[in-house]
Amino acid sequence: MRDAPGQPLLDVTELRAWYGDSQALHGVTFNVYQGEVVTLLGRNGAGKSTTLKSVMSIVSRRTGSIRHQGTECLALTSDAIARRGIAYCPEERGIYSSLTVEENLLLPPVIAPGGMSVEEIYTLFPNLRERRSGQGTKLSGGEQQMLAIGRILRTGAKLLLLDEPTEGLAPVLVEQIGAVIATLKQRGFTILLVEQNAHFAAGLADRHYVVEDGRVVDMIARADLAASGARLAAYLGV
Amino acid sequence: MIEILTNWMDLLPPAPALFGQLLVGLINGSFYAVLSLGLAVIFGLLNIVNFTHGAQYMLGGLAAYALFTYAGIGYWPALLLAPLLVGASGIVMERLFLRHLYRLDHLYGMLLTFGVTLVIEGLVRFQYGSTGSPYPVPASLSGAWDLGFMFMPIYRGWVVVAALVVCLGTWFVIEKTKLGAYLRAATENPKLTRAFGINVPRMVMLTYGFGVALAALAGVMAAPIYQINANMGSEIIIVVFAVVVIGGMGSIKGAIVSGFMLGLAEGMTKVFYPEASTTVVFIIMAIVLLVRPAGLFGAVTLTAAPEAETHATGRALVAPATLRLLVIGALLCGAILPLLVYPVFLMKVLCFAIFACAFNLLMGFSGLLSFGHAAFYGGASYFAAYAMKAWGFDPLGAVLGGGLLAGVLGVAFGHLAIRRQGIYFAMITLALAQMVYFFAVQAEFTGNDEGIQAVPRGVLLGVVNLANPLAMYYFVFACFVASFAAIARIIDSPFGQVLKGIRDNEARAISLGYETGRYKLIAFVLSAAFSGIAGALDALVFQLASLTNVHWTMSGHALLMTILGGVGTLTGPVVGAIIVAGMENYLAQLGAWVAVIHGCVFIVCVMMFRAGIVGEISAWFVRRHAMGSNLYPLQAAEPRIVVSGPAARER
Repeated sequence: MRDAPGQPLLDVTELRAWYGDSQALHGVTFNVYQGEVVTLLGRNGAGKSTTLKSVMSIVSRRTGSIRHQGTECLALTSDAIARRGIAYCPEERGIYSSLTVEENLLLPPVIAPGGMSVEEIYTLFPNLRERRSGQGTKLSGGEQQMLAIGRILRTGAKLLLLDEPTEGLAPVLVEQIGAVIATLKQRGFTILLVEQNAHFAAGLADRHYVVEDGRVVDMIARADLAASGARLAAYLGV
Repeated sequence: MIEILTNWMDLLPPAPALFGQLLVGLINGSFYAVLSLGLAVIFGLLNIVNFTHGAQYMLGGLAAYALFTYAGIGYWPALLLAPLLVGASGIVMERLFLRHLYRLDHLYGMLLTFGVTLVIEGLVRFQYGSTGSPYPVPASLSGAWDLGFMFMPIYRGWVVVAALVVCLGTWFVIEKTKLGAYLRAATENPKLTRAFGINVPRMVMLTYGFGVALAALAGVMAAPIYQINANMGSEIIIVVFAVVVIGGMGSIKGAIVSGFMLGLAEGMTKVFYPEASTTVVFIIMAIVLLVRPAGLFGAVTLTAAPEAETHATGRALVAPATLRLLVIGALLCGAILPLLVYPVFLMKVLCFAIFACAFNLLMGFSGLLSFGHAAFYGGASYFAAYAMKAWGFDPLGAVLGGGLLAGVLGVAFGHLAIRRQGIYFAMITLALAQMVYFFAVQAEFTGNDEGIQAVPRGVLLGVVNLANPLAMYYFVFACFVASFAAIARIIDSPFGQVLKGIRDNEARAISLGYETGRYKLIAFVLSAAFSGIAGALDALVFQLASLTNVHWTMSGHALLMTILGGVGTLTGPVVGAIIVAGMENYLAQLGAWVAVIHGCVFIVCVMMFRAGIVGEISAWFVRRHAMGSNLYPLQAAEPRIVVSGPAARER
C-alpha cells in the first residue's frame, strides 16, 4: 500500500450503471492513488469493463460518485473527462481503419504538458515506427494493442485506464506488454488495469480489487497476495 | 479505314454544339459533385441523409439574389456571405432537430429533412412564387473566350474551375489533415473519439454547417446560370441522390468523380438523344445497380448499423366480439357518410386511405421506406384515365388494370431497389419514380401539363352508371373495403409474419432460411399494386390524371399519412388519410401554405410522435391497461425505440 494515504487520485463510490433497462453495476467502490497500478480482477461479465466505461462516461446512465483529484465527475461528458487527464484504452483496442498508424497515434489531442514524445513512443514500440504509414487496422493484434496504448501516452494524461491489454495475445507479447506497463509506472503514470489474467496482474499491480456481479467484493494488496492465493482462485475459478 | 472514320465523324453533330453540350454537362456535373460531396460528408458524420440539401442549395442562390436586390451586395461578397448565412441556419437546424435523431434509424433523419424541405420550399414559393428570378453574371466574369472550336463563356469556365477547387480542397482537408483525421475518427467511432477529449458533438454541428454551406455555395454559383426558383433544389437533389447511389456515400472521392462523370454523361446524351437527357442518370443508376449493386466505388458505408428498434408484439387491439361490432359500425358509417358529407371529399379520403394502407404494408410491416410510390399511384391513374377515355374500358377493368400495371412497374422497381437497404432503398425508389415522372412529362398521351382531362367514369359492369356521385362513392367504398381487408389479411398471414420478422431483424430471418429478398420483392409488388388501385380510382373520381399524381410530393403524401396515423398500425394510415385529405381540401385556399403545414406536421411527427396518432393512442391504452386488467395486451406503438414504463415491465 501507499506510505502516505492522503487523497486518492480516483475515488469511485457506490457506482451503479445501466445499459438500457438492465443494470450492469450494482455499487462499485474502489480507489486509486497517485503512482499506483491497480487492477480490477473478475470473471467474464462481472462488470470490469463497464466500470472503466462508466468512469469515462461512455455508459450514460449512472449513479454514485466518481471523484478525480477530489472533483466530482459523474455529470461530465466523456470529452471533458479526457481533458481532465484520464486516458482510456478500450478492450477492442479501437484502432481506426480510416486512419494510418501515425494518424491513429497522433489523434488524441494533447491536454497537458508532460506527455511522451512520438519518438519516445516509437522507441517503446519499435514495430509501430516501421509501419507508421500503413492502415491502422492492417496491424497484427499485438501491434494494434501497442498502438492503442501508445496513442494515449502522448496526451499528458496521467491516469491510464487499460481494458484487458493482454487479451488474445501470444505469451511473448503478454510479457512485452507487462514490461511496458512496468516502465509506465516507473515514469509516474497511474494505471487502472482490467484483467482476467491474475497471474499477469500479480507481477504488476500494487493492489487488486475483485469484481463480482457488478460489485467490488474484495481487495487484496500485493503483500497479501501470496497468502490469499486460494481466496483469489475461488473468486476467479470457473 | 479513313473512309469509315469520316463516315462516323459525319454522324457527330457540329463541333460547337458538341462542345457546348459537353460544357453544359460539365457545369451540371460541377453542381452534382459539390452537392453529393456535401451529402457524403454529412452522412458520414451525422448518419443523416440530408434531404434539405437541395433546398439549402436553392437558399444559397436566393440569399445571393436577396443580398443583391435588397442590399446591393454583389456576387463576390455573396459568394462568402450566402454560404455563411445558410450554413448558420443549418447549424440552428442541427441544434433544434437533427441532434435528437442521431440515435435513431437513418430514415428518421431523412424524414425530418424532407419535412424541413417542404417548409422551406413552401415559404419561398409563398414569398417569390414559382417563377425564376434572374441574377446577373458578375461584370468581372462576363464575356467569353474564343477557344477556336467554340466560345467559352468565362463565367461557366469559372464555375467548373471553382467547383473543382472546392471539391479537391475538401478532399484534401478530409484525407490529409489533422482536422480531417478527427473527422474520419469521429465518423468511424464517435464514442471513443469523444473519450479521447475531442468535442464530437461540436464537430458534428460544424460539419453539418459546412456541408450546408457547400450546398449554398453551389447555389450562389448556379444563380447567374439558372433562374432561381423554389423548385430548383428538389429537382437537382433527386438527381444527386442517384449520383450518390452510383458513387456511394462512403467515399468522398466517389462522390466527386461520379458527380462530374454523370454531368458529362448527361451532356453527351443531350447531343445524341436529347429525349433521354433528363432520365439518363437514373438509367445509369439502374444499370449500376444491376451490375455492381454496391456502387461504382465500393460504397462501403462507414456507419454502423443503427440500434435495433423494439417492436411491441402486436396482439388484437380489442376482444374479437368488440372487433366485429367495430367493423360493422365502420361499414355502416361508411355507407351513411355520403348523405352527410360531400361525397367527392370522401372519395378522395378513400383513395388516399388505400394508398396509405398500401404504403404502410411496405413501410410499417416490411420495414422498407419507399420514396417512389407516386410512380405507382400516378402511373396507374394515367393508365386508368387513358383506358377509360381512349379504349372505353369498364371502370372495374380500368381500376384492376391500373393495379396490374403498377404491380408490373413494382416488379421492375423492386427488383432494382431491394439490392440496397435503408436510405439507399429510399433514394433508389425516389430516383426511379422521378424517371416515371419525366416520362409522363415527355410522353404524348399524358397531355403534359394539362393531363388527361374529362375522363368518363363509365358504367360499372354495364349496369351502374358511375356518373352519379353516390354510385361512384359506393364503388370507391367497395374498393377500399376490399383493399383494406386484403391488406389486413396479408399482414396477418404467415407471409406477413415473415415480413415482420424481416423488418425486425433481417439477418436473423436469413439465418432461419428465409429468402428475404423474395419476400421483400413480393411485399413491394403488392404495395405497388394496391397503390395503383388507389391511383386508378383517383383518376375516375376526379376525371383527371395529371402530373401532380406522379410528382415526388405524392410519395411524400403517402409517407405523411402513414407516419401521422401510425406506422405499422392497421388503422393508422386511414386516420392519416382523413387528416391529410382534410388539410388539402380545407386549406387549399392557403396555397403554398399547405406544403408548409405538411412540412411542419412531418417535423412534429418525427420529433415527438414517432408512433403516430393511432400508435400513441394504443400506447396510452397499453399503459392504462397495464395498471388494471391485462386481458388483452394491446398493439402498441411500433417503430418507437422503447415502449416500456415501469408499469409495462411488470406484466
